[in-house]
Amino acid sequence: MFNLIENEVLKMISKKRLMFVLAILVVLISIFAYGQNHTAERTKAQLAQRMGITATDDWRRLADQQLIDMKNRLDSPYRDEKDKSSLRVRIEQLQYNLDNNINPLEQSAAKFTTKFMEQSIFLFLPLLIIMLAADMVSGESSSGTIKLLLVRNVPRWRILLSKYLTLMILEIIVLFFAFVLSVIISGLFFGLGGWLAPVATGFKLVAGKLDTSAVLNVPQWRYTLMVYSLAYFVAVVVGSISFMISILVKSTAASIGIIMSTLVAGNFISYFLSDWKITRYMFMVNLRLTDYLSGSFQPIEGMTMLFSITVLLGWAVASILVSFVYFIKQDILV
Amino acid sequence: MFKKSMWYSILVIACAGFIVLASGFYQAIIVTTMVGPQPSRETPMTQTTGDSTLSSKNPNSVQLLILGDSVAKGTGDEKSKGFSGYLPDYFKNNTSKEIVLDNAGIDGLESMGLLEQLQSKRLDKLISDSDIILVSIGGNDIRSILSLNTLAKEDEFRVRLDSYQSSLRLIFKELRNANPNSMIIFLGLYNPYEKATGLEDARLLTTWNYNTQQLVEEDGKAIFIPTHDLLKFNVGKYIAQDGLHPNSAGYQALSYRISKSVETILTGL
Repeated sequence: MFNLIENEVLKMISKKRLMFVLAILVVLISIFAYGQNHTAERTKAQLAQRMGITATDDWRRLADQQLIDMKNRLDSPYRDEKDKSSLRVRIEQLQYNLDNNINPLEQSAAKFTTKFMEQSIFLFLPLLIIMLAADMVSGESSSGTIKLLLVRNVPRWRILLSKYLTLMILEIIVLFFAFVLSVIISGLFFGLGGWLAPVATGFKLVAGKLDTSAVLNVPQWRYTLMVYSLAYFVAVVVGSISFMISILVKSTAASIGIIMSTLVAGNFISYFLSDWKITRYMFMVNLRLTDYLSGSFQPIEGMTMLFSITVLLGWAVASILVSFVYFIKQDILV
Repeated sequence: MFKKSMWYSILVIACAGFIVLASGFYQAIIVTTMVGPQPSRETPMTQTTGDSTLSSKNPNSVQLLILGDSVAKGTGDEKSKGFSGYLPDYFKNNTSKEIVLDNAGIDGLESMGLLEQLQSKRLDKLISDSDIILVSIGGNDIRSILSLNTLAKEDEFRVRLDSYQSSLRLIFKELRNANPNSMIIFLGLYNPYEKATGLEDARLLTTWNYNTQQLVEEDGKAIFIPTHDLLKFNVGKYIAQDGLHPNSAGYQALSYRISKSVETILTGL
């Protein structure tokens, strides 16, 4: 089994596809980091022009002022208890910025790395995974090498399992490089720090409304870890689905096409079919898991973190089952 | 050999990565699903209303109630005083009675929020005891449209103005239901971004203030106090570091103006 996985991993590496994925990551991260750098400078200029302050040295006074205001707000007896916890969280963040002399307008490698994955999780990361997964089996079919695999004295399910485990390993590798590359590249622009800064999380949906009563601050590194873990989960789910399609469809081009169009359609399907409850059970609609962490989701009734994870897990398990059953039963005539 | 070492390093990264990611995944689920501390909601409210029943309508005092948004609250004042701090000082010149003050301002409140606050009836006791009610509302209704482009801005402005006007009507109705006799002082809007505004924005602001004033005048026992003129050329002097709220000097100047406008009424109380 171990040898089978090793064999598969080496095959993927020699196919250069992994290198291609990494190259895309390098190019895109560089462009985004440069763009972010540019935007940050423009925001500063605009702020300076609008309010007559220079964001670089006057931010402390501004933060002091905000801190006083928020403390006043906390004391107001006319305020709902619910708002107070989110207020406390913001006070904590501001206080941290002041104590550690961090201008909240400045970017940091930690912020960028997290943001990058939050933005990639629903389309870009799945596309990278598809590039790897979509020809794992169909590639062998179209080039005919599947014969060589199957004539060996190994049960079919073990061959498929080794391929699937290889895919899971490669997904980690992709995420690992996405992380390392964005830390290094954005570190060149913004400096490497920012891993201890507090980030607010813990938002919940209660009866279709954002509930901020359980909001708390976690250090940036823990938040980043959570974001990348959710991204890995998404990668495994998308990987499983495209793995299944690559088994069902013999041609690599078709299998890439099918899964990509499904994904892209998923990004606007909820816009057109928002009244139709069944869209909630589609996997494409549930990919934005990190939105539950940051509290930036569009509240859709009945959708919570656990719901989305369950739906995605259901899709993954179903695809794996279909893959194995079909691969073991099918006749292979090449 | 190279392939072998590559395979091992990949394996190590994958195993370590899997463990780390699994723990992160677990944390993410915990964080988003755990139950927060259940807030005890009603307690502070009942306390304040309890207090005001104790200090209920004393013929030897002038009761002042401040309602509305952050400007009413006094946000931006580096001495944390705001209207609650300065108005009584100025009012003292015109009345010998004791001045009792309540401030129910909430930062970020929009006209709809104020209406909800009034409709919840929690403040009715305070309102009915008040001789003078100062209201500042509307700034947060209009603020977010500033960033829109010109075409969208015009449309959005109409929508906001309409909804603002209807809630303002209802606000007056609520206030008058609770207290038909008190003097209502309504603060107009100013433009804190004086440096960065065009003619178009200025026109929207005057339209807003004009419509507000019309509504306020309909009441009969209410006065509209403009603030735009006072702050227009004094942005640097009267606006706080946050670039939005008045600072201490700004609140003082506004309080002075308000006290002058209601001088005669105060002496009559």
